[in-house]
Amino acid sequence: MDELIKELKELEELVLQCMKCGTCQAHCPLYQKDLLESTVARGKISLIESVYEGRLENATKILKHLDYCILCGRCKENCPSGVKTDEIFLKAKAVLRKIEKLPSWGKAILKIVMEKPELLAKIAPLMHIGMKFGAKRVKNDIFKPILGSFSKRNVKQIAKKPFSKTHGGFHKAQNEKMEVYFYPGCAANFIFPEWGEGIISVLNHFGVSVYVPEVNKCCGIPAATLGELETYKKMVNENLDDINKRDCEYVITCCPTCQYALSEMGPKVTEKSPNKHFYDILMFLDEVLNVKFDVNLDEKFSLHTPCHYLSPKKANLKKHLEENIQGDFVVLENQSCCGFGGTFNMKKYDDSKAVGMSKAEEVKSKNVKKIFTPCPGCAMQLTDAIVEVGSQATVEHPIVYYAKELKNNAF
Amino acid sequence: MLNNALIKKFESILGKNNCFTEPEDTMCYSYDAFSAEPVQPDIVVKPQNEEQIKYIINICKDENIPIVTRGAGTNLSGGTVPVKKGCVLLTTCLNKILEINENDMYAVVEAGVVTANLANAAIKKGLFYPPDPGSVNISTIGGNVAENAGGLRGLKYGVTKDYLMGVDFYDMDGNYVKGGGKTVKLVTGLNLPGLMISSEGLLGIMTKFVLKLIPKPKFSKSMLVIYDDVIKACETVSEIIAAKILPATLELLDSFTIKTVEEATKIGLPTNADALLLIELDGHEAQVLEDFEAVKDICIKLGGNIKVAETAQERDKLWEARRKALSSLARLKPTLILEDATVVRSKIPEMMKAINDIKNKYNLVIGTFGHAGDGNLHPTILTDKRDKEEMVRVEKAIDEIFAKALELDGTLSGEHGVGFAKAKYLEMEVGSGTIEYMKKLKKGVDPQNLLNPHKMGL
Ligand SMILES: Cc1cc2nc3c(=O)[nH]c(=O)nc-3n(C[C@H](O)[C@H](O)[C@H](O)COP(=O)(O)OP(=O)(O)OC[C@H]3O[C@@H](n4cnc5c(N)ncnc54)[C@H](O)[C@@H]3O)c2cc1C
Ligand code: SF4
Ligand code: SF4
Repeated sequence: MDELIKELKELEELVLQCMKCGTCQAHCPLYQKDLLESTVARGKISLIESVYEGRLENATKILKHLDYCILCGRCKENCPSGVKTDEIFLKAKAVLRKIEKLPSWGKAILKIVMEKPELLAKIAPLMHIGMKFGAKRVKNDIFKPILGSFSKRNVKQIAKKPFSKTHGGFHKAQNEKMEVYFYPGCAANFIFPEWGEGIISVLNHFGVSVYVPEVNKCCGIPAATLGELETYKKMVNENLDDINKRDCEYVITCCPTCQYALSEMGPKVTEKSPNKHFYDILMFLDEVLNVKFDVNLDEKFSLHTPCHYLSPKKANLKKHLEENIQGDFVVLENQSCCGFGGTFNMKKYDDSKAVGMSKAEEVKSKNVKKIFTPCPGCAMQLTDAIVEVGSQATVEHPIVYYAKELKNNAF
Repeated sequence: MLNNALIKKFESILGKNNCFTEPEDTMCYSYDAFSAEPVQPDIVVKPQNEEQIKYIINICKDENIPIVTRGAGTNLSGGTVPVKKGCVLLTTCLNKILEINENDMYAVVEAGVVTANLANAAIKKGLFYPPDPGSVNISTIGGNVAENAGGLRGLKYGVTKDYLMGVDFYDMDGNYVKGGGKTVKLVTGLNLPGLMISSEGLLGIMTKFVLKLIPKPKFSKSMLVIYDDVIKACETVSEIIAAKILPATLELLDSFTIKTVEEATKIGLPTNADALLLIELDGHEAQVLEDFEAVKDICIKLGGNIKVAETAQERDKLWEARRKALSSLARLKPTLILEDATVVRSKIPEMMKAINDIKNKYNLVIGTFGHAGDGNLHPTILTDKRDKEEMVRVEKAIDEIFAKALELDGTLSGEHGVGFAKAKYLEMEVGSGTIEYMKKLKKGVDPQNLLNPHKMGL
């Protein structure tokens, strides 16, 4: 225990930066729901402080509060003192994991997802068939599993074959002017392969060759959020080794969390840094390629901004949408997090869903028919909530529309 | 410590989910935005309605348990630290805006409504709720009334007390008390809204308010004025007021704060300036334009270099400079002590000079900004609470800052209240007779001293 307290005290410099102003309350999606201080960053930080200052005896008890967090980073984004809440929470959880071990089934799942990507890719077709039999079709490609804890959810169909199997390798552009490394991430790999396909075809069209790793290694963030920091570090290192080897300037992602895991948080917890610039595909189109599209929609559409893309420095998604997609763009009043949070959605489904539902209700009441988002996690979560409230809206990545536009124009 | 039977009593009224006694839960209510030693309450309760509040009071009265009412816990004077332990009562679930009356221009809201939510709801109806503390997105109306919160618009529009028409609260006998009402004029009985303003949770648990709304000003104009001498900036403030012009906002940033804000935000502030004034006038266009010219003349006469915001974006940038003052300072050192020394407006130059002398005397890092228009300065001390030797100097500096404010016909607090942070100075300002009267009042309505005991030294 003493060792543990010592390790938590190593966070003191980061923790002390919190002036307890409470500004984070206004931004925490879970606080808006529960109105409890233990939910919000200020509370969590004060709990860590209480342990290493000797005011709380049973350190393990604070794990449940640290774990009750979407890791959306909205507190960090809006903290006037610049408190690195994400770093504090991830490191503190890793310390506390040493005494409160992850259950063995959790470890087994992590092992397969993180460390056996080939095995995961092999069993994907089985999951695909399993989903067909073990679920009831709700919409086109949305199913409701019949059994177990998944039975409350509306989930997207799993790809017949993972994207890395069908598209792994080098995709040379005709008039090649540069090459990029495309890191699809697990969700695009297994759930949204059409996003990956869209990215390759759009980039190729503009003379950008695309390299896709043949085996998609998870970015590691699920392990980090479960407090398994060592596994996370291992995944970051392996991925960055792979990325750094390739001779190109940019890494393209279509998942804000993967980008965060590998290029922002990764270098903070490992000693490794990427030797390339990471770009979300949409920002790459805007800022590096400087290209515009002219998609016309005849139905009301809106945008959901993923939490890890909030800062205007990283991406001005609204501007992007306005410049590339014409039609009736509705700005939602609810600009909150979708509530997904990866492992948070697994562990605390009801809380996770409750956050997403309020947004889905606005989508329904405003008769919005399409939500664009560049995050597969948000897309899964919003799809679930939107089906649940009985809205007809679908959630899409703009790239799919851009690819369609280019294809149509070619004929 | 509460025993199980007592905890069960609370739970039977509130349900298990709204009572918290585990140390890791109660620890989260041991502090507020004032940097003080945390004190853990025995129980935290989250009533869902007024009826439950009444029962909580009854239990606490019978069992002699202190109650601290807590809104958002953003106060800067230790007002919600449960120094005598006991029960922390959260008002966060009483968060409904019950009515916005456009014809009679008032709002009825529950205590836990977040201030910005009321302001936004009013704006949607073309009305205006002016009090805008820096914590507007977090703090509750209950906390604003209990602290008489002010903000950037205090100079022209006043503070929370100027908008409080009615208040409903529970006293320590569980009696429901209704003070004031919905009419603009009301002189029936004792002025209970006046009594509850700045009461810091000592006299009752407030549940509902009637608040005055006003028409939204139609036109506004902002400017930033740069000075190479902070005293000249302060003199400008006095001259503008003396010219009988009331800007909506008249804010000051000293050189240290300017540099810090610029470093953090890169919005293009002049880092070699000694001071900045941010001035905004609002109202009818013709009047605003006329006053604007007069204010410009005064600024230029005193050596100010003027930048006028021509577009909404430019205006936002100017406001960003002011809004980021506290947060930019907060990034520099682990501990930030935000003080609230306030003087009559004509004495601002003297107060600024005194703060500077005190800073040098105790070799401390102090940035000063504030609502210069209403004499309300925020000398902000940047330190590290682990440095015991420096903390002694900090304490001495604070003593001297307050003594100086009082010497200049000022007050200990323009807006952050007394709590326990300033309890020891209270007598210095109000005198022993006044303290005695406050004590009698407190004893009369709360003989067991259960409502937020020990605050204001009462
Ligand atoms: C970043 C920041 C900026 C700030 N800027 C300003 C500013 O510009 N101007 C300003 O005036 N203040 C400012 N403050 C201070 C603070 O926000 C105000 O004092 C605010 O009014 C407190 O509201 P709260 O809901 O957080 O109340 P709390 O902190 O929860 O409570 C404050 C006091 O009110 C009592 N109380 C709360 N609710 C009730 C109730 N329903 N019935 C009875 N008693 C009650 C509590 O017991 C306590 O004594 C700032 C604070 C921060 C952190
Ligand atoms: S906003 Fe930042 S400084 Fe303020 S309480 Fe939250 S984490 Fe602490
Ligand atoms: S990361 Fe998100 S959910 Fe977690 S405390 Fe911060 S704002 Fe709340």
